[in-house]
Amino acid sequence: MNGSLIKLVIDTNIIFMSLYDSSSKAAKIIELAEKNKLQLFSTDSVKEELIRVLKRELNFNDKQIEVNINKLPITWVEKEVYQEFLDKTKVKHKPDKPVEALALVLNCGILSADNDFKDRLNVDELLDRLEDDK
Amino acid sequence: MKTIAIPEDLHKELMQLRIQKGNKNTAELIKEIVVEYRRKKFLEFSDLFKQKLRESGKSFDELLKASKKIKEEIADEWFPN
Repeated sequence: MNGSLIKLVIDTNIIFMSLYDSSSKAAKIIELAEKNKLQLFSTDSVKEELIRVLKRELNFNDKQIEVNINKLPITWVEKEVYQEFLDKTKVKHKPDKPVEALALVLNCGILSADNDFKDRLNVDELLDRLEDDK
Repeated sequence: MKTIAIPEDLHKELMQLRIQKGNKNTAELIKEIVVEYRRKKFLEFSDLFKQKLRESGKSFDELLKASKKIKEEIADEWFPN
């Protein structure tokens, strides 16, 4: 649709932060994706993590999980797409590799609160940049 | 571009709403309605999330820690090598 839209790979912690505080910067990122001002992507492993956390830790039922996760403005990408890039990632911590691998596939930045990602985007700078583009 | 058929009374309502909201065209108005709907659904999810978190008795930091453990569990299952 719009080839110049900013693409980002979003990690689980940012999704949870946006849900925990709907006036946070993380929630602003989700809102911008809802408005098609940027494109959010994530891995099927992040989706699985969300599902397991909501189910086990917060007692969501299957219907609540399906309905709510599918409404998030995130494109979920299957393992087959990013698997070959796992070996090319710089992050040492194995569980973080899928997110970085997908960012390599899409040639875009990572939104995460995890310090293991050396190249993660600064949310403040991103929001300022998007404000300037208005 | 696609065309959709809608009843006359709904068309009238959309036209009135378009004037009230100052939208340039109906497509822009419908786009705004879709964005507002998405926002409402996200806020409902957020409310449910906070309610469930309260009921669980966990703090948000504890939830993030549990999430990290689950991330490791998935990595071991999905990417064993």
